[in-house]
Amino acid sequence: MTASSLFGQFMGGLTAAMFLFLIASGLSLIFGVLRVLNFAHGSFYMLGAYMAWQVVRWVTATMPGHFWLAALGAALGVAILGGVIERLLFRYLYGREELYQLLFTYALVLILGDAAKYTWGTEQLSVSRPSILNGSFEVFGTIVPDYNLFIIVIGPLIALGVWTMLTRTGLGRMVRAAALDREMLDALGANVGWLYTGMFMLSAALAGLAGALVTPIQGIVPGMDVEIIVQAFIVVVIGGLGSFWGTFWGSMLYGQVLSFGILIFPGFSLFSVFALMAVILILRPWGLFGRPIR
Amino acid sequence: MGLQHCLGLGLGLAAALAASAPLAARAEDTIKIGFPMPLSGPAAVYGVPVTKGAELAVQEINAKGGVLGRKLQLLPRDSKANADEAVRLARELIIKDNADFLSGTLTSAEAPAVSTIAKENKVVFIAPVAKTVKLTAPENLHPYIFRVASNTEIEGQAAAALVAKWTDVKKMGTIAPDYAYGRDAVAAFTAHLKKLRPDIEIIDQQWPKLGEPDFTAFISAQMGKKPDAVFCDVFGGDFISLAKQAGPLGYFKAINNHLIDGGEVGTVDAAVALGGDYPFGITSDAYDPVIWKGDEPAAHKEFIEHLKAYMKSDTGSGWAVQGYTAIVALAEGIKKAGSTDSDKVAAALLGMSFDTPVGKRTFDAKTHETEAGEFWGEMVKDPAYPFAIMKNPQYLDPTVATN
Repeated sequence: MTASSLFGQFMGGLTAAMFLFLIASGLSLIFGVLRVLNFAHGSFYMLGAYMAWQVVRWVTATMPGHFWLAALGAALGVAILGGVIERLLFRYLYGREELYQLLFTYALVLILGDAAKYTWGTEQLSVSRPSILNGSFEVFGTIVPDYNLFIIVIGPLIALGVWTMLTRTGLGRMVRAAALDREMLDALGANVGWLYTGMFMLSAALAGLAGALVTPIQGIVPGMDVEIIVQAFIVVVIGGLGSFWGTFWGSMLYGQVLSFGILIFPGFSLFSVFALMAVILILRPWGLFGRPIR
Repeated sequence: MGLQHCLGLGLGLAAALAASAPLAARAEDTIKIGFPMPLSGPAAVYGVPVTKGAELAVQEINAKGGVLGRKLQLLPRDSKANADEAVRLARELIIKDNADFLSGTLTSAEAPAVSTIAKENKVVFIAPVAKTVKLTAPENLHPYIFRVASNTEIEGQAAAALVAKWTDVKKMGTIAPDYAYGRDAVAAFTAHLKKLRPDIEIIDQQWPKLGEPDFTAFISAQMGKKPDAVFCDVFGGDFISLAKQAGPLGYFKAINNHLIDGGEVGTVDAAVALGGDYPFGITSDAYDPVIWKGDEPAAHKEFIEHLKAYMKSDTGSGWAVQGYTAIVALAEGIKKAGSTDSDKVAAALLGMSFDTPVGKRTFDAKTHETEAGEFWGEMVKDPAYPFAIMKNPQYLDPTVATN
């Protein structure tokens, strides 16, 4: 085992972690504020990927900057869809039992999955990397693709952006207040309904953006929604449900444990992350950064 | 909705029901083929084109007057790639829909499960896609099961025969999905390679799960062991992810494109999906190369033309031929037996030869297999296409490959 191959393994884990963070942060945000476990979050991610592909199709892949337009379009498109779903359906779930929430959001997974299949068919689709990030460079004898580096940078940037919004702005204060006591905030005259819609759209936009950004390195296939939601759930459970930084460090831990787990036990690629989750749930059932539920 | 609309709809429905009644009576005369196949979910990527191929065969046979003067009728059902669901559908097709025969199923979990139903009900079942050797292993073989697909033994052996020609290869890695298909194919490959080239050492084996979206860690772990060549069995959407992640990491370059994939990523389906991101220079297989430069059989050319028109697709699919072949084989068997009695058809299929768009196939009387090989070749850039095509598709006949 050389140092360079260890570094390569670390970079792989880091890229995976940042993708997971983009997705899991939206899931955690919705749970933290709206107190709903949104199983359909993975569907927003999948729709983001399909929408990005669609935009690339529309503007043709030869247009410069088409990929960024696609990423933006996907985030926006999914945000709007999320807003509509929240206004028409989701608002009836607040305060309900988790079982109903899970059943309802799972129904959404099936509906959105079939809608995607109806719209885009079942064949595998793919989007090329943006030409500006086509290259790669060598560090410590390991090749690091530019695109992976871009993801590694954009993950923390978005984390910082959302964290700043939540802690340093008036809007953020309202959001935190809503998470603590919705009725009181309502009574104080804040428009909690639209605040919830806004948060839901932000979370959907993060998922849509993640879906668009994953298209250059993964195939777009039906089923990617369920695949990702399981991972995102593991991440938020490890980090602590509703905890923003918990989600960040949960993703980091997940990515590295997965990556080095594959290196150390190649025959059991899934073993290490589930072992990690089991250990954390035994030692700290509320996750690394979560608080025990009273 | 207004009352008039409701009335109108009701009348329309009644009319439709009335019209379908005589149709249903006529449908009694058709020969029904139950076809459980994944038509939704990730596996629909293969299930849909295989079904299209079967539908095309039914259409063509019926246009020529059907079999024994009766029309064929395909009854496709969505198995969702779930063995339990496929079993339930197979039972329902036989009992409720009076299916005379069974075909279909995709995965190596579905096919053996449906095979037990075929055995129970004494109904001929022709498997078009599933590759697991267990389907026709001596302990599972019964008079009614037949397969037109290749199998993992044949696939592994063919890949080993091709790798044996790479004289400069000494260290081999493998990467395959962690379930029956991947495990069986890698076992067949390594066993056969040991015979052909005892000097080659298997130095690394990676087992990503089926449906793995992120191969980065597997790829970097394998690159760390520095193999000269890789046997890969990752297929479909998984291969797209693998190729897009491995390319920028320099994986294919590090092994000098000495990657051989037995998971049919040589099909036009995979090539079109990856476009310019395809790892040009690797070697792979396909049941049907679809785009066939060189000595393309006339029957294949005609088949692809019909298929493209039927699928309303510019490129067709490399999987459709499997559904097509299963139906053609069944129709020939019925013709030869002169009856739709499953016992007679099963007897007729033993040792029977029939033509497919990609060549003649024969059911071995002992194994119930057509011992079908596949087309193998290097995947190259071609100025005429915006995606990779197979250079000189070469049919690897298993009877030749094993010797």
